[in-house]
Amino acid sequence: MHAPALKPVLAIYTGLFLLFLYGPMLVLAILSFQTGPEGGPQFPIVEWSTYWYRDLAGLNPPSRIAPLPIESGLFRSLTLAFMTTLVSTTLGVMSAQAFRKKFAGSGIVFYLIVLGMMVPGVLVGLGTALLSNTFGVDRHWWSTAFVLHVVYTFPFAFLVMLAIFNRFDSSIEEAAWSLGVTPIRTFRKITFPLIFPGVLSAMLFCFTLSYDEFSRTLFTSGRDLTLPLAIYGTFSVEIHPNIFAFGVLTTLFSLCLLVVYAVLMTASVRRARQTALQEEA
Amino acid sequence: MKTYDLELIGVGKTYETGAPAVSDFNLNVEKGEFIAFLGPSGCGKTTTLRMIAGFESITTGDIFIGGRRINDMPPERRPTSTIFQNYALFPHMSVRRNVGYGLDVKGVPKAERDRKVDRMLATLGLDDIADARPTRLSGGQRQRIALARGLVVEPEILLLDEPLGALDANLRRAIQAELKLLQVNLGITFIFVTHAQSEALTMSDRIVVMNNGRIEQVSTPRDLYTRPRTPFVANFIGRNTILPGTLAAVDGTLGRVTTTFGTFTGAIDSAAMGTGREAAVVVPAEAFTMEPSRGPAAGAGVPGGNALDARIESRSVVGPIVRFDLAVEGGQSVMLEGHRDRYGEDFAAGTPVRVTWDASKATVIPAAAH
Repeated sequence: MHAPALKPVLAIYTGLFLLFLYGPMLVLAILSFQTGPEGGPQFPIVEWSTYWYRDLAGLNPPSRIAPLPIESGLFRSLTLAFMTTLVSTTLGVMSAQAFRKKFAGSGIVFYLIVLGMMVPGVLVGLGTALLSNTFGVDRHWWSTAFVLHVVYTFPFAFLVMLAIFNRFDSSIEEAAWSLGVTPIRTFRKITFPLIFPGVLSAMLFCFTLSYDEFSRTLFTSGRDLTLPLAIYGTFSVEIHPNIFAFGVLTTLFSLCLLVVYAVLMTASVRRARQTALQEEA
Repeated sequence: MKTYDLELIGVGKTYETGAPAVSDFNLNVEKGEFIAFLGPSGCGKTTTLRMIAGFESITTGDIFIGGRRINDMPPERRPTSTIFQNYALFPHMSVRRNVGYGLDVKGVPKAERDRKVDRMLATLGLDDIADARPTRLSGGQRQRIALARGLVVEPEILLLDEPLGALDANLRRAIQAELKLLQVNLGITFIFVTHAQSEALTMSDRIVVMNNGRIEQVSTPRDLYTRPRTPFVANFIGRNTILPGTLAAVDGTLGRVTTTFGTFTGAIDSAAMGTGREAAVVVPAEAFTMEPSRGPAAGAGVPGGNALDARIESRSVVGPIVRFDLAVEGGQSVMLEGHRDRYGEDFAAGTPVRVTWDASKATVIPAAAH
């Protein structure tokens, strides 16, 4: 930076940014250790305890506070996110592969795909709900909501894979063909292992986007609620710190996913970097 | 009818944008020939190679390998292997696995595969690094692996796309020699794309010079050097002086060209041209001899023979060779080179000289391409 006066300004900005990013999470994490069952979701902390964590595990003696209705919601959300990840990533890889060559109408198809992540979720959700009513299709988290989750996350997977293929050296595939390897086998044995870090990124995107998707799911999941809907539902009654405890646990789960991703990614990137270094040498 | 190892008849490629990449490419290649495609970048040499390999579609014409038409055959079924400038090794496989992969896919039994791979690794001096990952190796080693991988599947034709372009000069020379030896020993046809003329001139049996998607000339390296047939080749290969004029007469194997500097003769392929059309005399730099001028420079040409009065513009010594740039009055420049012993210090810049040459070492070519 050539303007030294800018430095403290940027530092303050960054500090504020981090505060707004992590502040709410930190407050939730602190409040989750409030004592129970009489302690409420606000400061001051009456007494530190793990009561609400035990509450989630069903270890506390029965009290007037109903257990969080999230167990089945968690199962549904994980299943839905898993299915969405599989389908969207597969579609994303395949369509990005198709886009490696220009084809007639590729420009329009590109925007049609990307539209899925651009249009407001409320509109798509509402529209789908109306449409399914018109055609007499029952709405379920595993049918209508699942389709919308795919429509929403597929463009992300597609864009990630497009960027990956953009940097992919296709002479490696040509070398395989010229050795007599069929295109399909080349894709499985040569191309796929090399684009795998990208596939991993696409999967992570799809999973996290689907796992906490709200607006599309709200209109299309029908009677059975996914996790975000279930949590939202509890707000309308009364808030207890058990939601905060659950929030901490899901955040830890997400962190675990990220760690797995980072480990796999580091391994792949290290390999790629060695290739790059050799290329320069 | 004779069957060639590789035959291209009227092959052309036009991109979807309508721009022609290659037009009317005709070539017959004998079994075991080393052919170089030489030309500036963008001349269509790599596109032609990729059409032979099957990576690019063909717009017009036919390609035959061993008498079989392969226009619509996918690359994996063609009896060719391709070597790329960037090696294109499989980074997730060991060296041995890279080399053996083609045989593995073809379903060659393990024992036979191992034998062939081991022999190929030994031939290219890769035994020591057989179990390493290719990403850890040097450029020269990696290009050897690529060669081993391409050759072990026993292709009828090996296609090489600027394979030495990414290597430094010394390594390039070493691998050039190795490559030539390998090709002679294996007896496989090599098609070698390069933009470096020294590479083409030292290794190939015949050179295909390309420019703007067309073949300019197909010749042995020696002929290409001494007998250019087009202005492009005369400019691109070696150091030639081109004296433009009009073809005045053809006398057997010699053509007489009238220029603004005088009338000069050179060898001519009389079938190719008629008198009266624009032509040029091409003289290689080493075909000239020069003497210090007696008396003042005549200025205009010297009548009656292959001689020019000129003035030395610059002199540079490259090892035992001295290179001169000469200027003839009227703007024509002349490039001359000779041995240092012959052209000593008295041939300094500014000296007026008389340049002469043997008509049989000069070539008369048509002025415009085709």
